[in-house]
Amino acid sequence: MSPRFRIALLVLAGLVLMPAAAQVMAALPPFGSTIARYGARINAITPEARHVANMVSAINFDLRGLDTLGEEFMLLAAITGTVVLLRGRRGEGTTGRAMRLPGRAVIPRSDAVVLGCRIAGPLTALFGLYVVLHATVTPGGGFQGGVILASGTLLIYLGEGYAGWRDSIRSHWLDALEGGGALLFALCGLVPMLTGAAFMQNILPLGTFRDLFSGGLMLVENLGVALAVTGGFTQLFLEFMEETREAEEPDEPGEESA
Amino acid sequence: MTAFPALLLPLPVAIPLVVCAVILTTAHLLPGRLPDILAIGAAVSVAVLCAVIARYAAQGPIVYWFGGWEPHDGVYLGIGFSVDEASGWIAAFIGMLYALTFVFAWGFFDRTHGHFHILMLLFLAAMVGFSFTRDMFNLFVWFEVMSVAAFALTAYHLAESSLAGAINFTVVNSLAGFLMLGGIGLIYAQAGTLDFEGIAAAVARGGRDPVVAGAFCLVAAALMIKGAIVPFQFWLADAHAVAPSPVSVIFSGSMVSLGLFGLAKVSAVVFAGSAQVQQALPILLIGLGSFTALLGGWMALLQRHLKRMLAFSTISHAGIMLAGIGALTAGGTGGMLVYVVGHGLVKGALFMIAGILLATQASIDEIALRGLGRGIWPAGIAMALAGLLLSGLPLGALDQGTRLVQGALSQQGHGIALAATAVGAALTGAAVLRAAGRIFLGLGPDPGDEAGAPSEDEREKANRPLWLMLAPCCALLALDVAIPPELIAHALPRAAAAFMHQPAAGALVEGPAWLPWASVAAGLAGAGYGLFRNRLPKIVVQPVSATQSAPTRALEFLHSGLIGDYAAWLAVGVAGIAAVLAMV
Amino acid sequence: MSVLPYAVAAWLFGVGLYGIATSRNFIHLVGCLGVCQSATYVLLLGLGYRWGSIAPIFYDHPPGTPAVDPVMQALVLTDIVVGATLTALLLVLTVQAHKRGGSLDPEKLRPMRAGRKSGRSQDTSRGDEAARGAR
Repeated sequence: MSPRFRIALLVLAGLVLMPAAAQVMAALPPFGSTIARYGARINAITPEARHVANMVSAINFDLRGLDTLGEEFMLLAAITGTVVLLRGRRGEGTTGRAMRLPGRAVIPRSDAVVLGCRIAGPLTALFGLYVVLHATVTPGGGFQGGVILASGTLLIYLGEGYAGWRDSIRSHWLDALEGGGALLFALCGLVPMLTGAAFMQNILPLGTFRDLFSGGLMLVENLGVALAVTGGFTQLFLEFMEETREAEEPDEPGEESA
Repeated sequence: MTAFPALLLPLPVAIPLVVCAVILTTAHLLPGRLPDILAIGAAVSVAVLCAVIARYAAQGPIVYWFGGWEPHDGVYLGIGFSVDEASGWIAAFIGMLYALTFVFAWGFFDRTHGHFHILMLLFLAAMVGFSFTRDMFNLFVWFEVMSVAAFALTAYHLAESSLAGAINFTVVNSLAGFLMLGGIGLIYAQAGTLDFEGIAAAVARGGRDPVVAGAFCLVAAALMIKGAIVPFQFWLADAHAVAPSPVSVIFSGSMVSLGLFGLAKVSAVVFAGSAQVQQALPILLIGLGSFTALLGGWMALLQRHLKRMLAFSTISHAGIMLAGIGALTAGGTGGMLVYVVGHGLVKGALFMIAGILLATQASIDEIALRGLGRGIWPAGIAMALAGLLLSGLPLGALDQGTRLVQGALSQQGHGIALAATAVGAALTGAAVLRAAGRIFLGLGPDPGDEAGAPSEDEREKANRPLWLMLAPCCALLALDVAIPPELIAHALPRAAAAFMHQPAAGALVEGPAWLPWASVAAGLAGAGYGLFRNRLPKIVVQPVSATQSAPTRALEFLHSGLIGDYAAWLAVGVAGIAAVLAMV
Repeated sequence: MSVLPYAVAAWLFGVGLYGIATSRNFIHLVGCLGVCQSATYVLLLGLGYRWGSIAPIFYDHPPGTPAVDPVMQALVLTDIVVGATLTALLLVLTVQAHKRGGSLDPEKLRPMRAGRKSGRSQDTSRGDEAARGAR
């Protein structure tokens, strides 16, 4: 199809959809006027029912924990897929050097960068941990904190170079971290069933409102998510960074089924 | 405390998830075959559990509230699963299809540390969750998990065409996810809840409401994209043709039909109270379904790449299922549910045969394979049987589903749709039978140089014994033929009524008995025409080729493989649904 | 004013779709898909908002203070994860497609079409020539 025809189709569809969308917008509750009953009810009962201050975490880990379980495994699927697809022909070897573009000068890292990364790295990790641990009290949680922790590992690459990064990050450990975190989360669902409660029912002591230890089972689930996300995102960075590695041999079918 | 049968509901989702987390954690320690065994075990246990749940659900839907959050004062606080008999059996069928696919794929993916199994098990868990849930957003989550696992599996071969196919698949299905989420947002704003029953009650209270119609438009478009309905069908042929054969079995056998299953559930349960939606449904579903059945069948007939042919045949059969839903009766929906199972069994077997050809003959091209299948004649018999079943041979579950769908359509006087279901089946049957005749009997003209058409390196792993690949394929066909029709006829009225939340209907009407025979005859005639065209008198051949060339060229032109075109057609499709909704 | 966020969401989806339809570069296309997804963020957060409300975190404010809809925020959080996974996967596919095909142009990388290196089907190649003729 020529681009012109394609745009004509789009415009046609737009012309039909525009009045429909206008009608829908007019019938929606005006912006900022009210919130749905479901959300209002959760705001009303959850602080007391679960002793947590952060409603979003309460929804993610307790009321609608199953969604988060699905989401966690969606992430696992995406990262497994990324690993399969990126590793496909490259293999898993760890030898080899980072790729160099011919003609571009290799500038040695300055001491300032190394120092900066060595200072910022632990601080980033600390901040990530803080965000993870305060899931039930303040904005944050396992997912957000896990992403911060994983991003912190990139500072190793920046500060220590490719070899240092490659030595300190091992793919199996990341697999174990990611799978273990997801497993922990799934078990948080199954273990309460052994006691006769429902899947993912909060059977642990709920702790004190506005305290770090509040929310009971949510804390464990949050930890599982944090582990899985840290492992998963680091794996993602690792696999993408490996794309910069020089191929040891020319591109050849590595995946046996290809 | 949850009582016994309800207690089982989370397990079919949780078991595959736990197994795949374990495989990932211990990937580097596990000996070679263990992931295969674990995966088969998980799939079998899902199938068995779902069958048990379905048996219990015969007395009435089983409801389970996660986290113990039962509804309070009419406010649904948590996520619930609600399993009626039909959903339970569909999930059991899916589990069984996975188990057989894992057997088929035994040793296919050796050096990947179980990554293939992880993705497949996630795919399985998502499908079971999708068919069990009663929460709109949870439906979306499982929809997306399915999509993400599917995207990664499609590109597995890393060939140029599989990457392009996977990109098209990913972009189109991601857009489907966004549309669905938009629809969920709208309906949530209006109904104030995400639970199916809660939304249904709010929709029934609301009267004619553009927001409800808009939400339905977006959600239906998303599910139709998954179900490969015209004009959203383009991604399917690109993706199914290039995915590894075991993955194609799952795609065609369950993923596509599950999209339509979701559509049937959402329109029968959630939007039952909206007169506007219910009036638009027959026009929309029967119209699009008939058109899809014809277009998919015609495109299938034009292909010589076997998997692409089967992919278009899936599109055609998806159209027939959609027409069944469009009848809005227990017969139509019940027929569609049986059709999902029957079609999944037959189409799964066909994709396995395509995989066998790829593994043993290292080709998937119908012309190049001419006569090469003689050495593996059992596969030929299976393929011929599957082709006959596709075209409507009155035997087994697929046929029963077809006749129920046709019965519902003829009862309501949808003559054109009735004809379209028969013609679509005949066309796809003709395509498969033609390929079977050419590959396994060496029929048709000698291709000469044409046979040498080199395709991309498409060989699939050849180390597996033939019997190991053939056994699951034959098991699928045997299941389709062996499911006792009386059992289905007895249980279906009740199951379909429970699925649609309607009072139980009487016995379901079947379509005219001659129609399946007619479509089988047409299928055989079409296959014969394709094979012996050069021996027929010119007077017969010329008018046929004259009528087929122009529309054919136009169709091939539309299936351009360009993602930009697909996006434009997607917008057109959504606009079409919106227009129909606005007009009723 | 009361429909502005919804209109913005619709507009975002529209321009994203336009970008996908006309894109000649896969990385640009992934970006456009992100724009489409932003439409869902805006729509959901817009629907869950209420004037004069706090974030649904009762740490500095006592429980009972009017807060916006926490459900929508949780849904958007899930949506963000969906976005991250999709972007990662699509970029992987793009990287690999670029390695195999040497191009990032959707027009040059087409699935299962004749006329490139494999003459798969008479009909297909005919259709494809017709397509090229028309262009």
